[in-house]
Amino acid sequence: MRVFWLQRLTCCGNTHSFLNYESLHILSKRLEFLYHPSLSLKAQEEAVEELIKSGEGIDILIVEGAVRTDEVETRELCKIAKYVIAVGNCAVYGNIPALADETVCGLSYRFKERKGLLDEGFKSRSGMPVINLSGCPAHPEWIVGTMLMLAEGIKPELDQWGRPKEFYSSLTHWGCTRNEYFEWKVEAEELGSKRGCLFYHFGCRGPLSYSSCNTILWNGVSSKTRAGTPCFGCTEYDFPRLGLWETKQYAGIPAELPIGVSKRGYIMLSGIAKMFAPERLKGEG
Amino acid sequence: MKVENLELPRVEGEARLELFWKDGIIEDAKVCIASVRGIERVLVGRHYMDALVITPRVCGICGHAHLIASVKAIEDALGIKPTEKARLVRNITQSLEVLQNHVKWFYLFMMPDFILLEERLRGLYEPFKGERWHSAIRIASRITMGIALFSGQWPHSSYAIPGGITSEPSVKELTSLRQILLELKHFFLSYVVGMEEAEFVKCLKEGSWRKLNGDAGLFLELCHREGLLTLGSSYNRLISGGGLYAPCGYFMKKVVHGRLKVDQIEELNAPSYSGAKPVRYRGMPFETGPLARQLMSGNLMVKSMHREFRDSFAVRVLARVLEVWSIAEAIELWIERLKEVLHEKSTSLGRFPSKATGIGYGIVEAARGTLIHRISVRNGNIQDYAIITPSQWNLGPRCENFLGVAEKAMVGLKSKLHAQMVLRSFDLCSVCTTH
Repeated sequence: MRVFWLQRLTCCGNTHSFLNYESLHILSKRLEFLYHPSLSLKAQEEAVEELIKSGEGIDILIVEGAVRTDEVETRELCKIAKYVIAVGNCAVYGNIPALADETVCGLSYRFKERKGLLDEGFKSRSGMPVINLSGCPAHPEWIVGTMLMLAEGIKPELDQWGRPKEFYSSLTHWGCTRNEYFEWKVEAEELGSKRGCLFYHFGCRGPLSYSSCNTILWNGVSSKTRAGTPCFGCTEYDFPRLGLWETKQYAGIPAELPIGVSKRGYIMLSGIAKMFAPERLKGEG
Repeated sequence: MKVENLELPRVEGEARLELFWKDGIIEDAKVCIASVRGIERVLVGRHYMDALVITPRVCGICGHAHLIASVKAIEDALGIKPTEKARLVRNITQSLEVLQNHVKWFYLFMMPDFILLEERLRGLYEPFKGERWHSAIRIASRITMGIALFSGQWPHSSYAIPGGITSEPSVKELTSLRQILLELKHFFLSYVVGMEEAEFVKCLKEGSWRKLNGDAGLFLELCHREGLLTLGSSYNRLISGGGLYAPCGYFMKKVVHGRLKVDQIEELNAPSYSGAKPVRYRGMPFETGPLARQLMSGNLMVKSMHREFRDSFAVRVLARVLEVWSIAEAIELWIERLKEVLHEKSTSLGRFPSKATGIGYGIVEAARGTLIHRISVRNGNIQDYAIITPSQWNLGPRCENFLGVAEKAMVGLKSKLHAQMVLRSFDLCSVCTTH
């Protein structure tokens, strides 16, 4: 598989996330990295020219960073690729660079609208739409995992945002070490502690975001919520929302409830859960 | 005069270099950085806590430095002090970020250039193939694991908050970190300098840089052959905001220790060819980064090399390589102290005030040098946010009186490749520069 990595408006965070992948030396024996702007010997213009001259095409085109709505070259490269992967929230939704500039977007989306660089019906040479790996940054296992599936001849099943279900079908909440606190509605009153759930006061988006951050750990060892930081929902189109560290509440009830939970059910259950919460979960312990 | 417009590979983000040739000599050089992402604008009107999530996204390679600068600016504005435990942990994670950056920069960004001069080096440093290229990535990813032990993830964690940190590390994290540090030291001694620890420490004390083996030794040998020991010198004025292991101060003919005066730092308007604004201290351009820090902290090897070759390409690079050791040693001391205060609370302020007013500065040392954040908050909301990055010091454009630091360093060179190498020795980060 010939891999061509392109960077547009980016902080290079996805590149450095990718470099965290543990066995890159074995990976580069399985995949041929034709070009990467931060790593290769040649410059991008030269690499693109060579690629087009060779007529061999690309198996996997990776786009990192947000794009501008009028980028001809990126669009052309997407057409000659067998598979196109948008890596990171900028390439998927436009993200931070798109907040202050209307001409900036992702490959398929501009936030939640289908107003990206590529037409709605875009299919790469394999017949697949853009494979979106959202996240700020995307996890190395999601990036490499997707490339490896393609290398094995497996076309990943995608969700409504074009993301591989393998990595984005569960909530960030799954595997969170604070789940028991969540279940019994034991709230973290302060930051800086292993105890308490961060959903009620500190804006945690774990129950509202799709990612595998707590099941495929970061750098092999941890995650935001494990380090006491709320999930900011960086795999979703609305990242970064306003007021990232606070939970908006109406009459003591979170303005947004965990995905799939009704308001009535939430009120009933949380009242009971709070009342019967085990003593061991309360206080400093 | 011949004008040459080059696109630069192996930099962070996009950048172009314009070279003006006369009789085979570079007479002028312009570093052109386009595409501003507008992060400062995105922050205005948001709650100040949002800055802790958004400013790390300025840069995927030194995002942690932005996080710490941000939290310090907020603490300064709100009049809050972090607990000692938090201060130590932040020092450690911030330093680890610098370390992974140094390793990547030397092996992934600098050394591959030498392949173009000596084909035999391919086996070692060729991207995606070279043996050392892969060992460097492997150790860098171990170091980032060390950051994640405390911060949850790297890149882009937001675990520093006003008054402290969100995590509650235990001895388990400390022992894992110690293991990673030992691996790094092993990597440094066996590959980077090619010496036993005792021998290296002896050389360090004597300032005998000529005895270095390993990749650093090979680098010096190549520089000697290419004439790079003396090339690529700029104004020979260096500045460090202090923090991590080195004191603050500046070098101008001699080392002057002491706090930087914020009111003497000036950001000028960008000329038409660059998206970056020039920065001046007391009206003059200064170079920032590892060479400045190593001079401030009095590393004898760097001092003796600097005495001989000033702020040349080779001195700049070697200072950065040797800083790996200085930082690893500093982290060991912080671990020892951290053991004593591990029982402390992680934050002096568990709940941040939703409304607050004030103006504050956060000055930190990122891998590439002094990074400054300035925040102005009213009723909890950001009125104004300004960032001065290390790349602005080093790679920022010219002003009426002076060429930019890197621009000056390229004047007089006779080879295109040398110009690119000199530019890369400042570690060009256009993503930071065009926040």
